[in-house]
Amino acid sequence: MKKVPISRRRFIQLGAFTGSGFMLGVYPTDWVQAAQDLPEDCPYFQPNAYIRIEKNGSIIIFVAKQESGQGVNTSLPMIVAEEMEVDFQQVHTEVAPFGSLPAGAHDTGGSQSVPGTYDDLRKAGAVARTMLINAAAQKWQVDPHLCKAEKGAVVHALTGNRLTYGALACDAALMPVPTEVTLKNVKDFTIIGKEQRKRNQKDILTGKVKYGIDLQIPGMAYAVVARCPVRGGSISSVDDSEAKAVPGVLKIVQFEGTGKPMHVHAGVAVIARNVWAAMKARRMLKIVWNEGPNNHESSKDLFQRFEQKSKETPKQIVHTLGDVAQIKAPAKRSFSAQYAAPFLAHATMEPVNFIAKANAEQCEIWGGLQLPDWAVGEIANSCKLKKENIKVNLALMGGAFGRRLQFDFAIEAVKIAQQFDQAVKVIWDRTDDLRFDNYRPANFHRLQANWDEKGQVQSWQHHVLTTPVAFSTDGPEAKEPAEMLGGASKDFWYGIPNIQTGYTPIEFNLQCGWLRGVEPVVNVFPIECFVDELAQKLKKDPLQFRLSLLEGRPAFSAKFNDNWSQPVDPGRLATVLKLAAEKIGWDAPRPKNHFMGIAGHLFFCNSYAAHAIEIEKLGKKHFRLVRIVVAIDCGVVINPDGLRSQMEGGTVFGLGQALRNEITVENSQVVEDSFYAYQLARYNDVPPIEVYTVPSEAAPGGAGEVGVATVAPALCNALAAAGMRPRRLPLQKAGYTWET
Amino acid sequence: MPIFKLLINGESRTVDVEPDMPLLWVLRDELQLTGTKFGCGVASCGACTVLLNDTATRACVTPVQIAAGQAITTIEGLSATGDHPIQQAWEEINVPQCGYCQSGQMMTLAGLLKANKKPSTAEIRLAMDGVLCRCGTYHRIQQAVQKAIENYNK
Repeated sequence: MKKVPISRRRFIQLGAFTGSGFMLGVYPTDWVQAAQDLPEDCPYFQPNAYIRIEKNGSIIIFVAKQESGQGVNTSLPMIVAEEMEVDFQQVHTEVAPFGSLPAGAHDTGGSQSVPGTYDDLRKAGAVARTMLINAAAQKWQVDPHLCKAEKGAVVHALTGNRLTYGALACDAALMPVPTEVTLKNVKDFTIIGKEQRKRNQKDILTGKVKYGIDLQIPGMAYAVVARCPVRGGSISSVDDSEAKAVPGVLKIVQFEGTGKPMHVHAGVAVIARNVWAAMKARRMLKIVWNEGPNNHESSKDLFQRFEQKSKETPKQIVHTLGDVAQIKAPAKRSFSAQYAAPFLAHATMEPVNFIAKANAEQCEIWGGLQLPDWAVGEIANSCKLKKENIKVNLALMGGAFGRRLQFDFAIEAVKIAQQFDQAVKVIWDRTDDLRFDNYRPANFHRLQANWDEKGQVQSWQHHVLTTPVAFSTDGPEAKEPAEMLGGASKDFWYGIPNIQTGYTPIEFNLQCGWLRGVEPVVNVFPIECFVDELAQKLKKDPLQFRLSLLEGRPAFSAKFNDNWSQPVDPGRLATVLKLAAEKIGWDAPRPKNHFMGIAGHLFFCNSYAAHAIEIEKLGKKHFRLVRIVVAIDCGVVINPDGLRSQMEGGTVFGLGQALRNEITVENSQVVEDSFYAYQLARYNDVPPIEVYTVPSEAAPGGAGEVGVATVAPALCNALAAAGMRPRRLPLQKAGYTWET
Repeated sequence: MPIFKLLINGESRTVDVEPDMPLLWVLRDELQLTGTKFGCGVASCGACTVLLNDTATRACVTPVQIAAGQAITTIEGLSATGDHPIQQAWEEINVPQCGYCQSGQMMTLAGLLKANKKPSTAEIRLAMDGVLCRCGTYHRIQQAVQKAIENYNK
């Protein structure tokens, strides 16, 4: 048991947010939770915003992070319940209303929900437990140290007296908030580490669960929007006479686009009694757009620019170790390769949608927002509202993957609703959703390495080129657009004496944003393919070669800037690589034409993962996916089933990127308009997946994204072992075909 | 607008809508049966799958005038208490992540099993490959399909 201080009486300061603020820039640096004022008639005991115990014994745990399939509606209350000493099955969970916690508490992204709140949630639970014990001790006039909490009750060790939390609620509410609390030992956990079903599983399976798109607001109308196809364009003219005549149409309104951070496209919204009428009327609109000057860019040209620029000196040097310039080697001891990956769309199964009711002074909004505080600030700016006049109702998301870190759709919905006297639900059809996304940047990499006569790698150079998210959110003047460097920068895990990572951002008129896996997905593909290529050149086993660059390296801290340091432990990475290799039978005899590939990485949420993939070569550029093994070390595991689920899902997400996903751009407009064109991983793409976990008592890491990045390189490395070496994603585009 | 009589989950319902309105929007917005999901509107993802006379059908491309007079089953009618063999299998395997596609997944399998209680692997793959899941629960769906077929034939 360890004692941790809680500062201030009546106020519970729950410590600094431990997550990195680099990605989103809006995470709070600290937060202070005011205890609830004690109600006169004491209907319940609420020691903090996370916990309420009612007199009738009901225990409610509030969840601040938002559920989008990643399981925080289960894992986070498990952490609170553990320290509270309650039966998890007896606990009710509810979404913490927006505003019940300080700004930033609802921010959900960067795989930070568990690692970023684990300590705070434990303290919140321990505070409740301590106050309940103190209340019982006072009632019994005994020493609180002789009382213990178990299964929602306090028990006196000597007399065996027992009072439930419900019975103690009103006495506990009168207890002073403790200045320090004792946290449980990891080995005494009874909830954390035990499998729990997703809290809303039954409602999902019976169709009762309500996502944002399912919400009905009294008097609500529906809208669909015709948007200017090019970012930065505007409306020249609109003829809506035919559209207005469609039965059910209520009003047609126009709105201007916005600039950074979210670049809402200018549009014409058809508001109607039902979605179908709005969709039909939208087809009748005759709009002339002014697309602006940047309306002729294409992804094909972009990749040519990438290729050309990759040969030039990088715009920025972001990481230097030793001096790569002094390492000269003859051509036979030098190797260079280029890798590329396309723009990607989020394509959540719940298409983007948002509900707003608004006028010139105030508004109420309903929907999923991963960063609601930032969104509210920008809605206020864009729609000329005061922040305090915006009421937010957070909704369950049918997938997010970063799409709802962006909030262009929310600003747009408020702009539309301000021109209508009832609530409006704006529905994006799949074409809207795919063509007006915030895309994972396209990227290109040139790597070069030299080695000495003994086959020791002496230098490693990596030039990353991309269309940065920061150019979209902050404008081309963004000072530090090197956001795509996770894995390739100071956190690079392989022990090589001379390293240089350069970065060249390219302007491109397409809104870019964060997608599940963010920068590690961008950089791990080239890094883990290139290291594999070096092993092949040096005639070394790809696993042993990696281990030789990892094992024996001490853990270090990669300091990116004053606010962000990332611990890197090459030993933990070596462990997951070895576990994945062992479980797939790396050294075991294999059937003819079966080949294996491996790849590992560290995600910046303090989690390490490796994939090992077995394929069978069936012909030229034709293969069968036989089996995928993934090994994960994320420290303490909260919900083992939830972790497996995230690793399986991350694997499939990564497999889709390796095999199929690609957004292309022509005339500064996205081409793909449906799932026939933007292809996702499918049922028949997925071979058996096995997940293995490294037992650990280290502080918990995140699990939402660490399963994605190593799939594509492990698969490409398996194909390379079979004599093929794809260097550009997706494989489908390069003519590969596969079966399972 | 014309009035259509629909037989949904064994109940007779009446709606007054345009004849070309897809069944999807009738279910969701006119009848508040929101368990059937909008995913694409062009039959490319399967999220809106319902049964029409026991055949798995994409509600997003089925005009209400076609659905009228046929027996319509939605996820809410598969079993309100969640004890249909398919729902039980999905629960046992803990399939859902975000859950948005799962009614379409289960209704697709329900249609397959109505036609054939013991479908072949090829038939299963053909049917289930048409329903997309962005969370990537396919691995568990594959297991749950097997479990559901076992449950169904008990």
